[in-house]
Order: sequence, then C-alpha cells, then structure tokens
Amino acid sequence: MTSPTDNAPHAPRRAATPGRSVIFRILRADGPGGAQRWEEFKVPIPAGANVISCLQWIAANPVTTSGQRTTPVAWDSGCLEEVCGACTMVINGKVRQSCSCLIDEYAPGEGDVITLEPMSKFPVVRDLWVDRSRMFHTLQRIKAWVPIDGTYDLGPGPAERPADQETRYVLSTCMTCGCCLEACPQYKLERDPENFDTAFVGAAALSQARLFNAHKTGRDLKPDRLEALMGPGGVNDCGNAQNCVQVCPKHIPLTESIAAIGRAVTIHAFARFFRG
Amino acid sequence: MFLSPAERCVHVGKTIGFLERNHFLLRRLHSLTGIIPIGAFLIVHLTTNSSIVWGAINAQKGDTPLARGVNTFQHEVAFIHSLPFLILIEVFGLWLPIAFHAVLGVYYARTGSMNTARYPYQGNRRYALQRLSGYAGILFIFYHVATLRWGWTWLPYSSIFNARNAASTTALALQGGTEGLQFDGVVVSLSYMIGVSLLVFHFANGLWTAAITWGLTVSAAAQRRWGYICATLGVVLMAMAWMSVIGFATLNAADATRIEIGTPSTHAGRGAELAPELTSTQPGPDARTPKAE
Repeated sequence: MTSPTDNAPHAPRRAATPGRSVIFRILRADGPGGAQRWEEFKVPIPAGANVISCLQWIAANPVTTSGQRTTPVAWDSGCLEEVCGACTMVINGKVRQSCSCLIDEYAPGEGDVITLEPMSKFPVVRDLWVDRSRMFHTLQRIKAWVPIDGTYDLGPGPAERPADQETRYVLSTCMTCGCCLEACPQYKLERDPENFDTAFVGAAALSQARLFNAHKTGRDLKPDRLEALMGPGGVNDCGNAQNCVQVCPKHIPLTESIAAIGRAVTIHAFARFFRG
Repeated sequence: MFLSPAERCVHVGKTIGFLERNHFLLRRLHSLTGIIPIGAFLIVHLTTNSSIVWGAINAQKGDTPLARGVNTFQHEVAFIHSLPFLILIEVFGLWLPIAFHAVLGVYYARTGSMNTARYPYQGNRRYALQRLSGYAGILFIFYHVATLRWGWTWLPYSSIFNARNAASTTALALQGGTEGLQFDGVVVSLSYMIGVSLLVFHFANGLWTAAITWGLTVSAAAQRRWGYICATLGVVLMAMAWMSVIGFATLNAADATRIEIGTPSTHAGRGAELAPELTSTQPGPDARTPKAE
C-alpha cells in the first residue's frame, strides 16, 4: 500500500503570515567536485510562493543575509508541475520536488528557515543541480523498453487486458526523479561511469523492469532483464528498508515491484538450474 | 547483445571476483541459512532452554515445580546429546552455516549506510536494527558457544557447561559463580538478555524480509499479513528467550544439583550412554572453573 509522502512538517499547520520573509539556507558548490558551503538568503514571500519562485527571486537578488553579493544559485527544473523530476532536491532534510513545495506549508512564520541541499546520491554539477545520468544508464542496463524496432512491419501488437493496463499505469508514472534512490540506504553515490553496470540499480529501475516485463511485447526481453537483475547491483542488493515507497512522489508501489522482481528472479533461477 | 552478469563484468572491464561470479547464489544462500538451519535451530534451542520454566507444568518430572523444570531441561539436553554424530550436526548444521551467514552478513551490511536520522520510518529503523543486531549477535553467539560449548575458560566470566548437570551448570554460568547472582553474574545475564533479544528480533525481521527477497510476499497487503505472523513468532520466541535467561539467572544452583544427583537416568535411560566424562563428573558447586589456573 502506498502512503502519502512524508515531506511536510508534522507540526500543527500554522496560518501563514502575509508579507513575511523567510530564510533560505542553501548548500552550494561552484562546480563539479567543488567544495560545498552554506549560504543564507532572506526572501520576501508573496502568496502562493514555492521553492522555485524563491530561487528565481534569489537569482535576481543574489545577496546573502550578511549583505555579501554572491553568484545566483543554480538549480535544475523543467515542467514545474511535478511530472518531470528535474527539480528534485533535499528540502529540510528530506528529498522531494521543489516545484510542488509550497512555502506556506514549510515556513508559515516570519524568519522561518528552509534548508535546500542537492541530492547526495548524484554528482553535483553546481549548487542544487545534480547529474542524474546514472539513472538513464541504468534504464539501458535493464533494457527498459518495448522491442518494436524491425526492418519490416511487425503488425498490431498483442491485445492488452484493461486490468493489466491498470496495474502498469501507476508504474509508468515514474519520472526518474531519484527520490527513491536519495532515501535508499543501499544506493550510493557513484562518480565513475565505469561502475554504473555493477552498482545497485535502485527501486526506480526495478519497478521499470517490472513494468516492461508485464507488457506483452516488452516481456520478450524479460530473460535479459532478469539476468541483469540477478547479478551484482541487482535486486538482491535491496536491503528492504522500504524508504523508497515512503518518499515516492508518484505513490508508485515500489516495494511491491521489488518483491515482484524478487519472485521473477527466483523462478528464473530455479528454471535455469533444472531446465538448463 | 545479451550478457550474463559475469559477462557484463568482463564487458565493463572489471575483474570478476568469487563474490561477483556467484552473486545470486551467495545472496540467496545467505538468506536461506538464516532460516534453515539457523532460525530453525533458534526455535528448538529456545524451546529447550525455556523448559527450565515451562517444565514446571510437566507433571511426570518431579514433585516440585523446581524439580520438574530442572528434570525437563535435563531430559531435553540428554536427548540432544544422545543424537548420533552430534559433532557433525554441530559443525555442518550450525557452526559453518552461522559462520557463513555472519561473514557474508557483515560484508553485505557494509554495503549500506544508515540514514534513520533523516528518514525515521519504522521500516528504515528495522533495516538499521537488523544490521546492528547482526553485529551484536555475532559477538554474543561467539561468546556463548566458546564458553559453554568449547569451554574456552580464558574468556571473561567463562564457565563450563556439563550436559550431565545441565541446569545447575547453566545457572552457574549465568550467575557468575556459586554465590548467587553477583556482579559477574549480572554482567553475564544482562549480556545474555540483550544478545538473545537482538537475535530474536534479527530472526523475526529477517523472516519478514526473506519473504520479500524470495518473492513470496509481493503485494503490500501480503507483506503486512506476513509481518503480523513474523511479529507473533518474534513475541513467542522473545518470551521463551526471557524465560530462559531469567529462569537460569534466578535458579538455585545447589538445589538444582541435588535434583540432578537424584536423577539416575534421563530420556529412556540414554543418559547412561553419555560420554564417560559426562557421566563421571562429580556434580556440585565446584563445577565452575577458576578463571585462571
């Protein structure tokens, strides 16, 4: 069962003070591999502000609380409606999308502090902007696609049952944002692309393997996916902390996907042992 | 092109070690050994040990609750020691699987990093405690087996277990001497209490995660249902574990010795077939081994 994301503070909701200013404490780095430092900014909050709109204000007014002029804070974003995953960052210690993070919920009072950090499981490009290319490499590693390329017309695909489509739909909403990986105690920062093929794939990719294994054409590649997920960095590296499902903004049943892949791999291994 | 995990390692130019080549087999053997034989043995072991308490309801074993407990436990121990090829059962059924589970467990645990401070979810706390209880469990099992089974008397607070005087020598081991529960005994008994509680948690929680690992429980509802079953088993085992530790920590060793002397044979007379060193030992409070020669 999915549970609501646990990012908002649990303290009783205070009514937001109109016309207040909020302190943003931001972990910054000037470039890839650069040393990180904290900088604070005091930002006036208009009604309905979110973290991205505050970052835009900071970009226009890059002056710290101590009056020091600094460079604009860099961040990544795309859709601004929580479907692309690009603006994922660690807000008040927990990972989530910054576009859907409303200031009224996080900092309703004058002088309240919001901390922003880049995700720690991906290499920092600059400030809050990280390089998530390992996630896309991992999708290639597990062949997360439906094989329909050919030199001739393959004809219509097999009919899909609505019930199966419904199961797959929620899995297909994964936006490769990396929340599940940031919260995972088994997923580690890997800077060297040489190791992308053997490091832990994480919950998102395991769920995508389940998605494409469940597709009637996609299942052609099921043995390849299961072989990849049997090896180092595969499903067995999961430690069942189940943080992934708690932080997934799309409420994808990631722990069910992990168990489903575990089952598929068990059956695959026994079949391979006895059948050859 | 299709690549097996091993070929994939070669493909990316990595040296493939033994662990990578047999990744799946070792991972699943690690999971399996935690349940069979180790978990299964834990259930048997705690049932036997807690008989010092639940044996009191065993009406055929004596006149007083104490005697019934001591005699029931002695009966169980004698049965275990009457098993054929006991040393082979111990080595291949217990010691090697435990060593395998422990070594790989430490190696796997080192691949993770705990983040309960930021993500204090219940599942994440169990993840952390599973690893901490594993580390603590290794130390406890080593001390427990080294002192009471291997007789390594150079270890602190060590004591010799004698299968012919099972209850009294176990009591002396937990109480740290013949004077009743003194400081040494409190240290040993508390260590047992903590060690065995952590191991019971480790087994119950491990049984729950193993069902996910093998794909037995897939849906969240199934995982929750199986969780209730594992938790119930954990509570029962925890009760037996505490019964055992409290039972032996508070047992009057002198009384227990007198009851054991009055027990001519146990388990259908098989006690007499015990090894000579077990039958010839004069039981008594001096069964405790001096710490230094």
